[in-house]
Amino acid sequence: MSFSDLAPKASGTLERASFSGNAREYFGIWIVNVLLTIVTLGIYSAWAKVRRNRYFYGNTVIAGRAFEYHATGKQIFIGRLIVFVFFIVTNILSTIFPPFALIVFLIILVALPWLIQRSLRFSARVTSYRNVRFDFKGTTGGAFVAVLLGSMVASISFGILAPLSSRWVWRYVFNNLRYGDRPFATDPKIGALYRVWILPAALIVIGTLLIVGIGFAAAAATQAMSDTEMLDSMAGFSSIHWGILFVFLAYGLAGLLYRIGVRNVVFSATTLDGKHQLVSDAPRFQYAWVAISNVIVTVLTLSLMRPWAAVRMARFMAIHTGVIVVGDLGEVLSSMEASGSAISAEYLDLEGFDFGF
Amino acid sequence: MVSDGTVIARGEWQPAHSSRAVAADLQEKQDQLVAVSDGTTLASGRRQEIDITPRVGSIPRRLTFVDGSVFETRDNDAIDALVSRHGGKRSGFVHRLEQFHPRLIAFTFAVILLAVGIYRYALPIMVEIAVLVTPPVVPEMIGASTLASLEKTLLRPSELPEAEQNAIRAEFAPLAKNAKGGEGAYKLLFRDARLMGPNAFALPDGTLVLTDDLVQLAKGDRQMVLGVLGHEIAHAEGQHSLRQIYRVAGFAALVMLIAGDVGSGVEDILSQGGALVALSHSRGAEEEADRRSVELMKAAGYEPAALARFFAILEEKLGDRGETSMLSTHPGTPARQAYIRDYAQQLEGAVNDP
Repeated sequence: MSFSDLAPKASGTLERASFSGNAREYFGIWIVNVLLTIVTLGIYSAWAKVRRNRYFYGNTVIAGRAFEYHATGKQIFIGRLIVFVFFIVTNILSTIFPPFALIVFLIILVALPWLIQRSLRFSARVTSYRNVRFDFKGTTGGAFVAVLLGSMVASISFGILAPLSSRWVWRYVFNNLRYGDRPFATDPKIGALYRVWILPAALIVIGTLLIVGIGFAAAAATQAMSDTEMLDSMAGFSSIHWGILFVFLAYGLAGLLYRIGVRNVVFSATTLDGKHQLVSDAPRFQYAWVAISNVIVTVLTLSLMRPWAAVRMARFMAIHTGVIVVGDLGEVLSSMEASGSAISAEYLDLEGFDFGF
Repeated sequence: MVSDGTVIARGEWQPAHSSRAVAADLQEKQDQLVAVSDGTTLASGRRQEIDITPRVGSIPRRLTFVDGSVFETRDNDAIDALVSRHGGKRSGFVHRLEQFHPRLIAFTFAVILLAVGIYRYALPIMVEIAVLVTPPVVPEMIGASTLASLEKTLLRPSELPEAEQNAIRAEFAPLAKNAKGGEGAYKLLFRDARLMGPNAFALPDGTLVLTDDLVQLAKGDRQMVLGVLGHEIAHAEGQHSLRQIYRVAGFAALVMLIAGDVGSGVEDILSQGGALVALSHSRGAEEEADRRSVELMKAAGYEPAALARFFAILEEKLGDRGETSMLSTHPGTPARQAYIRDYAQQLEGAVNDP
């Protein structure tokens, strides 16, 4: 998908983002973060997160000005501490009284939309650009429909309705996002989302067919061929494991292509203040290449090259993101509300949700 | 009047909560810091009243005045000098550590040494603590759900004659009696699993699954089948699966906590790939289970080294003469036969000697 397809007819100046950080500088920050986290038995990790985010936000520049990350180490630390204590307490109580585990699970399930909404709001409110904070006005009900119902619909339909679910999630995020007193709005076309869905879907179908084939071949082969893991096939690396690894790769690639495709479509269908259009035009295979080679390099160097990989990805994403400014943004005012606690954001972070802006 | 201050840095000044920006200078006059544009004072305050963001790399610095207005500059060095003139030594400490300097090589080595230490010593301790505090429902839940998903995919009902199943069950009981928890703690299931070949495995809740192919491979050598079951009892008894799950999960959690951000790709590998690794046992656990099989067989009055015959068949029929290697999770088959026979003799000796 080239940029020209996405560009609106309206005339404006395209302001592309850029990333001014470099691996050399970030390596120092990263290694000190790691060292201090170990030495303080994990406590410093909260402050480490703040330094990392400040570095990445502060080096993401658009129209000559950088973003800023405002969460404090203390805020993140308290959030993490509460989540940690919660886990310990529920574990102890479940040991004494086993049904408690189920109760906690149900409570969290019910509270999940609320946690998501709070987490998005926290992320928005600790982010600023040109001295004006972002804000998020989404409701808990909205989070329930967009995230929970959406992912249910996507998984029940085996991913066939995934574009629908992506549309719900991104509409929930952007239609509730504010930059100061200016609203964002998005309405990605379902057809455009399906166009970026076809390739990953085909990849998953092909991968699944191949694994079924490999499975049959392996079944036929086990009778005759050498299989060193007879005693515990649950052990070691057998042909089944190689097959699963292959599926991970195919599914991983499909996931990357889908994620960036959706981002391109959604950003390019998003406006700020009703006229300034966001732009995302990351070539899909280039993105997948950057992501996959980053993982390989990170793993092979036992994560010592992670700073390089992180900066490389940030730079790639920045240069493929921009905004077409029509006229002038004028003076934007922010109402500066308290960001709220970091508990929900840290809880979801721990559970593997990723809603970073 | 304004011009008599010294200019510290050039940047932009912004009113509180507004995106409006004015090119401005930061000046120092007596004990006041002043943001000045075209000779007009925009904001001022004493150093103590002004919040200055700590330095991170070379991102812009923000000075927030009491009225909420902000002076932003990219001149980090000037702000550092200003901060240290006012006695703020500590704020820049972390940044000074982070600067590109040969010292970082020492830090890197320290991190590598500490990481190895955590992996070798702290992780095993954490795993043992986790096993200790795990309520019994957890292994039961893991066992039940693993079995349920295996039943759906790989396992079919056994086609062995009922009489043969009952005979094996009857001989299995004395074997399990001497294991921790006694006979009731272990449940033997017969299943047909073509894809797994001749196989047996243990679930964390003490459920053992024996495949038809293994019974057929034994060709009536019941002692050998019991030897294999002894090995699987040992896996369940030693909670090897639970330990492995905790080891993998603990490893992933430590990497994510310490490295902070490893990228979503590596996170996926740690969590999903970790689940795959969690299904296998470590080499140490395999050896422990082999030895425990010898003990259990002996205690039940069976042939202690019968398990070795299973490995002999594997070696002969399937050509597995693999040496134990660094990468394999299992000891090589010939090596296993040797130490099983040695251990059986050792136990015999211990009985005969005194």
